Parts: sequence; C-alpha cells; structure tokens
Amino acid sequence: MRRLKKVAIAAALALSTSMATLPAFAETLTFVSWMKGEPGYGDWWNEVIQKFESEHPDVKVEMTKVARSEYADTMFTMFAGGTPPDIVHLAAFEYQSFANEGWLEDLGPYIKKSGMNLDGWAGQSTCEWKGTTNCIMLLYTAYILAYNEKLLKDAGIEAVPTDWNSLLAAAKAATRDTDGDGVTDVYGLGVDSSGGSNMMHDMLHFVLDAGGNWTENGKPAFNSPGVIEGLRRFKEIYTEGLTPKDAAAGDMRQLLVEGRIAMRLDGPWIWNVMKKADPAVRDNLKLAESPLNPPVGGTSNVIGMPSDISDEKKALVWDFIQVATSKDMQQRFATLGSSPAPMPGLDYSAEIAASPYFELFAKANDKASAAGIDRLPKGLELEFNEVTKLVFREVQRMLIDNLSPEEAAANIQTAVERIAG
Amino acid sequence: MIDFSSPKHRSKFGYMLLAPAVILMALIIIYPILLSVDISLQDVRIARVGGTQAPWTTKNYDWLINSEEFWNSIWVTARMVFFVGGTSLVIGLATALLVNQKFKGRALARLFVALPWAVPEVVATVIWAWMLDSSFGVINWLLLKAGFISEAIQFGSNATAAFFAVCFVMIWKGYPLVSIMLLAGLQSIPAEQYQAAKVDGASVWQRFFYVTLPNLAPVIGVTMVMTTLWVFRDFSIIYVLTQGGPIGATTTLSMLTFEQAFSFFRMGQGAAVGVVTMIICAIISRALVGRFAKSVH
Repeated sequence: MRRLKKVAIAAALALSTSMATLPAFAETLTFVSWMKGEPGYGDWWNEVIQKFESEHPDVKVEMTKVARSEYADTMFTMFAGGTPPDIVHLAAFEYQSFANEGWLEDLGPYIKKSGMNLDGWAGQSTCEWKGTTNCIMLLYTAYILAYNEKLLKDAGIEAVPTDWNSLLAAAKAATRDTDGDGVTDVYGLGVDSSGGSNMMHDMLHFVLDAGGNWTENGKPAFNSPGVIEGLRRFKEIYTEGLTPKDAAAGDMRQLLVEGRIAMRLDGPWIWNVMKKADPAVRDNLKLAESPLNPPVGGTSNVIGMPSDISDEKKALVWDFIQVATSKDMQQRFATLGSSPAPMPGLDYSAEIAASPYFELFAKANDKASAAGIDRLPKGLELEFNEVTKLVFREVQRMLIDNLSPEEAAANIQTAVERIAG
Repeated sequence: MIDFSSPKHRSKFGYMLLAPAVILMALIIIYPILLSVDISLQDVRIARVGGTQAPWTTKNYDWLINSEEFWNSIWVTARMVFFVGGTSLVIGLATALLVNQKFKGRALARLFVALPWAVPEVVATVIWAWMLDSSFGVINWLLLKAGFISEAIQFGSNATAAFFAVCFVMIWKGYPLVSIMLLAGLQSIPAEQYQAAKVDGASVWQRFFYVTLPNLAPVIGVTMVMTTLWVFRDFSIIYVLTQGGPIGATTTLSMLTFEQAFSFFRMGQGAAVGVVTMIICAIISRALVGRFAKSVH
C-alpha cells in the first residue's frame, strides 16, 4: 500500500511538472488560408505568425490549410454556421459577398486609431465596400509572359513577342507535332479554357489589348468592340489548336514546366513554379514583359476580421493585421514572395539583386496600376462567380455552335444584364 | 413504479428503448430537412443559422419554375438516371451471374468486379479526368492509334461526349455495388428450385426468366432505388470531370444546387432546388420499392 502511494505521488508530481513546462495560451486565434505550406507566401505567413506570437506570448495562432478550389465554400459555410475564423483571409474577388452580409468588421476606426497610413497602398480601394473599409489589401500583381526559349528557337522564333501579332505568329510556329505521330506534342500558348476566374483573366489579356474591358463605369460592356475582338482572338487560339483544350491554369503551368507549352501569360507566382522544373527544361524557361498592353493586373487577396467576435479578439486580430502590414514584414513579403508588396516606398534593391525577375514584376505592376487595371470587373463584384459561369457557357456555345464573336458577346451581355439587374 | 413486464405497459417499454434512436434521427435527418425548407422559403443570398429570419416567400420557387437551368437539369438528371441505372443493372447482373458460377480463379474475378467500388470516388475520377483529357489523355491517344477516330474527342467541350464520359465513369464506379448485391441475391435462391425446373425440362433461359429473375426482383428493386438515388445525389464525378458543362450538358440537380448555393451565393434558390430534388427522390423511392416489393408476392 505504501509502495502504491509512493507511485501515485510520483506520478502526480511528474504530471504537474510536465504540465508546467507546457505553454499556457490564454487565447487562440484561428486562421484559415489556402497559402499554408506554399513556398514563398506560405513562408511569409509563418514569419508573420512567429513575430505576432513573440509579441503576444500568451496568444497562439492556429493556421489551417484549405485548398483554393474549395476555399470560398468552406469560408462561406464557416460564416453561415456562425463559426468564422478569427483572422479572415479571402481572395479580393470574393470578399465582397462576405462584406455585403455585414460579416466583416469595419476596419476604418482601427486604422484611424492606430494611425496606419494607407496612402498609395496598392489596390486598397478594392477593400472599400459601401462606404466602409472591410479589409487590407495584401497583394496587387500584374501578369508577365513566361516562355520556353528553346521551344521558340526550335520553331524559328528568335525574338520574344512584343504585341498581339507577334504573339500569335509565335504561338502558331511553336505548335508542333514533334514525333510525327499525328498528335500535337507542343502547344504555342497556354490559355485556360476550363471555365472559372482564371479563364476570365486569360481572356482579359486579349480584351484589354484590344482596348476593351468587361465593364465600363460599373456597367456590363460585354458587347463592346474591345470584348468582341478579345473573344475573336480567344476563338482563333482555341479553334486553331494553339492551346491544349479544356485545360485549367494549373495544368498549363505544369505543362510549361514539362516543356509542352511554349508560352503562358501568368502572374509572378509562375516563377516559383518554374523553379521546380527539371533542370533540362528549367534553363530554357524565361520571363518577359507581357506582349499585350496594358497587362492584366489586379488585386489578389485581403485580410480582415469577422464582425461578431469578442472585442478582446478583435483587438488581437488587429494587432495581427498590423504585424502583417508593418514595414519590415512587407519587406519580407517582397523577399519571400518574389513580388512587390502593396506598401509603397519600400527599398527593393536587395530583392532586385537576389531575384533576376523582381524588377520585371515591379515594372509590370506599375504599368497595370497606372492603367487602372483590375481583373475584377467593377460593378459586378457580387455576381462575379455567376458572370464567370455565364461567360464560360456562352464562350463554349460560341466554340461548339461556331457562333461569331459578335453573337457570343451579345448573348453574354443579355445574360449578365439579366442577373445584374 | 411501472411494471414494464405487464402486457399493459409492454409497448411503453418498447417506445422507451426506441426513443434515443428516434430523437437522434430527428436531429440529424429531420432538422436539416426543415432547415432547407425554411431557407428555400426565404429571399436570401446567404442564410445564417440562428441569424435574423427573412419573411417567407415563394420567390425561389417562382424562379425555379421559370428557370431554363432547372428544367435542363431535370432533363439531364432523368437521362443520366435512366442510362447509368439501366447500364449498371445489365453489367452488374451479367457479372453477378458470371462470378456466381464455379470456375478456377473465381475469387480473383470477384475481386476485380468489386475493385472500382473500393477505389475512393474522387481519386478514381481524377484518374479518369486525366485519361479523358482532350489534348494529352490516353483514351484519345488509343482511339487515334487504333484508327477509330481521326481527331481527338473534346470530352470537355462536346456536349454529347461530356455526357457519355460522365455516364461511363459513373457506370464504372457504380456497377460493382449492383453486382455485389445481385450476387448476394443469387446465392439466396434455393438450389431446389433450379433442380425442380431442370426435372421439368426447363431450358437455361427458362430457368433464368422463371426462377432467377422472380427471386431476384426484390434485390433488383432495392438496388435500383440505391443506384437511382446515387445518380441523383452524385456530385464529385461530375464536378471533377466537367463541372456541369459544357453548356449545362452535365448539370444535374445536385450540381445546380451546389452552383446556386455555393458558387453564386444564392442559398435560397439552392435550397429550393434541393427541396425539389428531395421530393422527387422520395417519390421515385416509394414507387420503385412498392413495385418490386409487390412483385415478390
């Protein structure tokens, strides 16, 4: 019995000692993001969390990954079920639906109280919704041209395309059946034709270059001459077999690093994808300015907080946002993400020296920003997903029924006007 | 003190034992149904559980009746149920009859028949999506090499090809369950019935039509109900392969529900489609179960 008592006391002591060595967190902030684990941006989030936790030793940030493809549904379910994450990370084209429901806190008073200066903060105007500031913009980016130098040279293209005509000519020359089995092995240009926002962005290159845009003064302009010309170019690339058909943007990136696609217009994130290519292909993969003018650009993702968490948690989340938007973390954003941060006035000389294409990304950003480009159609923010679907449906109808771009544009305009009211 | 062993209170004891299960069923089945009906009667883009209740309206059902997408999805679902259900039944019955015979390697054959059913649906569909890829898929390559086609089939942008591609993957994934259930049904048929039929001089086909099929009818009924409901509610195969396209050629009722509620954030309309789907499923289940149950007697 005495022996049993000793064992019990020893066990209790061991348990209490081990409990004392564990960190006792007074609060946990939940944070859901699709970027967890991503090279570059995921690493930056880790540093932000680390810094915040070092400044708040009694608070733990619990970061969970949700895939981008199911992100909006998951966040929507969490908010609708009354259990939103404490730190809200959303794509710039989807936050409006959440803000419209009053689910996001107005950050205006917090910004004012803390004295945060958002003058010149890239893309911040997108975070204004119905007179309130619902988020802080985390990334504004512009598209560039990724190309396989060897594939272009093999096709007799020595110079990188600089406009639509040279891009089309290069795409035609580079599309080839290399082994003579009757099946195309290399495609000239990777254009998303699988539907979704990436297909809209890919088509927007042609529309912008033709002088159009999806909306004008907040009203649908799908039947404008610029959009019609953009549809004509998309149809030409698709029907002439210059792009793999019905493939998504992710597939295109993979095909590019496998040496199956000669060119692809994409965001700066493609640089991180290209780095993973097989060395034999990687040496031939290069980046250049988009031959289409102005380049597609736009807001990417935002950070905010839910309106119905406790005031104590709101104060902590605001501290987290301040860490993420602090000068040193913005500088780290540029370093780790290999792309310019939204904060103005940062010194990028170290990033330019370290990354061969950083200057290119910054230049593309400036060009798109100066032209006032945002890939999210102004005035159709709430209906963006539905508009995307309608555009996809009518573009498919154009391709399947061989409709003219004018007819397809008129169909899109009618359908969008019906839902936009 | 109630004496539950007395004939007067014996039934109460039964109800008491059933109560936990019934309450649990009500919580996990009936509550979501009521919630869906409630949301379908509200003009809301995004409904929030426990949030402010919008006034009831029939606006979502008005949209449903006048919506081209809804009637298209009814038509697509009906065609898919008919084609997938019918083909799965034929293949399932044929494979069940085959593996019910005694032959060398029967265990291996049974394993192969059941294999597609055991593979996780999303994993299998992603593999098929790559195989059916319009530009680099092995199916197109094989068909081109064999000379069956002169140019690649656009499974993603040809309405007919997309529909049959979805049906094909559904059949591949669904027939093993039919086969397993029918095999269980075949094994429960008394051997005496076949012996008696043989003694009476019945041919193979006569034994099949007058002994096997009548005995299998209840199992076929249950299997058809399960297959029909599976096709009605299946989402992942269509979502991964075609996302309901092209031009709505594979947009079933479940796809439309998801699209309205989670892609377009029109939860009221999505719930209305869901409620109508549930009613249709209930009617079909009742009709099929009733019909096949009667056929046993």
